[in-house]
Amino acid sequence: MLNDRLAVITGAATGIGRAIGMILASEGADIVIADLDEEAANRTAGEIGEKGVETMAIVADVRNPRTLKKMADAVRDRFGKIDILVNNAGVAGAPGWYEHPESREEDWLACYEVNLKGIVHTVSAVAPVMKEQRRGKIVNIASIAGREGRPALPHYSASKAAVINYTQSLALELAPFNVNVNAVCPGLLWTPMWEQVGQRYAQINPSYEGLESREVFDRMIADIIPLGREQTPGDIGDCVAFLVSDDAENITGQAINVDGGAFLR
Amino acid sequence: MRLDEKVAIVTGGAGGIGRGIVKVLAQRGANVVIADVDLNGAKEAAAEAETLGRESLAVQTDVSDVRSTDGMIANTLSVFGRVDILVNNAGLGGAPEWWTRDEATEGDWDAVYAVNVQGIVHSIESVQDTMMNRMSGKIVNIASIAGRGGSAGPLAHYAASKAAAVNVSQAYALRLAPFNINVNCICPGLIWTPLWEKISKLHIGRDTDEESKTPREYFEERVQRSVPLGREQTPEDIGKLAVFLCSVRARNITGQAINVDGGIYFS
Repeated sequence: MLNDRLAVITGAATGIGRAIGMILASEGADIVIADLDEEAANRTAGEIGEKGVETMAIVADVRNPRTLKKMADAVRDRFGKIDILVNNAGVAGAPGWYEHPESREEDWLACYEVNLKGIVHTVSAVAPVMKEQRRGKIVNIASIAGREGRPALPHYSASKAAVINYTQSLALELAPFNVNVNAVCPGLLWTPMWEQVGQRYAQINPSYEGLESREVFDRMIADIIPLGREQTPGDIGDCVAFLVSDDAENITGQAINVDGGAFLR
Repeated sequence: MRLDEKVAIVTGGAGGIGRGIVKVLAQRGANVVIADVDLNGAKEAAAEAETLGRESLAVQTDVSDVRSTDGMIANTLSVFGRVDILVNNAGLGGAPEWWTRDEATEGDWDAVYAVNVQGIVHSIESVQDTMMNRMSGKIVNIASIAGRGGSAGPLAHYAASKAAAVNVSQAYALRLAPFNINVNCICPGLIWTPLWEKISKLHIGRDTDEESKTPREYFEERVQRSVPLGREQTPEDIGKLAVFLCSVRARNITGQAINVDGGIYFS
């Protein structure tokens, strides 16, 4: 379905980003793995390459526009185009955020810098290529946390709400160039980030007091997921694969929750 | 994305968007039941599915009558033994000749409610037992971007019914989730169908500035004016999203309403 397409995925070395890369590669796309962690990016590039597609690992920091410009240039030099951009890189706060019950100034700044401005910067580097091609697909990974304010991680929720909103602005800006821009809002996925989120919940919510992260996670699945099961990185990759395919050519500006029915808008 | 060997029912599958959904489902491997008030049209759609190598069945169905939707399910079960997918697509714009009226009548309000809202409820009520027993099922309801916002014009009744269709989708998503049944909704944008031809006629008739235009010209201007991607959507677009939502790849997506409208509405 995605043969001969070239996809750039940020934060692709591990977790959800890696799963997205695996699935797009299964559909035939060549994959550029952009990540802060060079060693992990190279390892993931090797693993995705086993699917028989071209891969390229690039060290890029979405907080730093210069590294993104270099990335876009390097990709263009090698592949001559960028068909797909998946903005997946994200953080839940500054290092150690989960050890504090309150959101600190640095947590607000980290989420704003990476989750929102990281996308702005990456798009600034990549969109000119797509505009010139008069063709492109962008998918931003937001979160159901962005659907509604919540006390646990206000800095994170606010940044993800901003991602959903920016997805809409960008969809309108790039529509005349035949570029579709959509967002996916993952629900509850057991990732290293959620392991930290579980610690925060155990601190601030009396009903989760004393529980291990995984126990908090399982309780939340039972409490808030109508379908009664956790979501997986593969689910997110599957939704991205649909949105970047020709099957979704008239879908743009949408944010789709992949959350087993937890949020209905 | 494939739906090989799945059994799918499409209400209102004889024409318009429904016909496109039938075609795409069949192309992607599903056997298709076409349920429509127009039995001849349903038979034509069934024949098309068969030329694509699928088994098919045409069932005359009036979704405003729950006995009729019960019959639709019973017929499907007797031929195919199961129902994997239900696409609630049957819909209308009002009572007969609604497009000739400047203002909706009581009859128009009742007609859209009976088909666009209760038609979905009846079909789900008829199919849910068999899906619940199998702990498996996919339901897709076709609403409209008209349901995304109120309308000052002569189609307020239609818009309200489609908003209700979105809401009903959420209710059934929650109700059927414990049975591993996904219920989602698609909101089509501007698609050239018999329904839109009538909407064009309605607007042309109301506005003297528009009266020299053909329905198709009015539609095309509307597309240029309001669709950010600058092109009309197609029945096949709706079918392709329905295929995704009914595939294993969307197993954890439920209760969502997704606009296929080239960027007109964002929620």
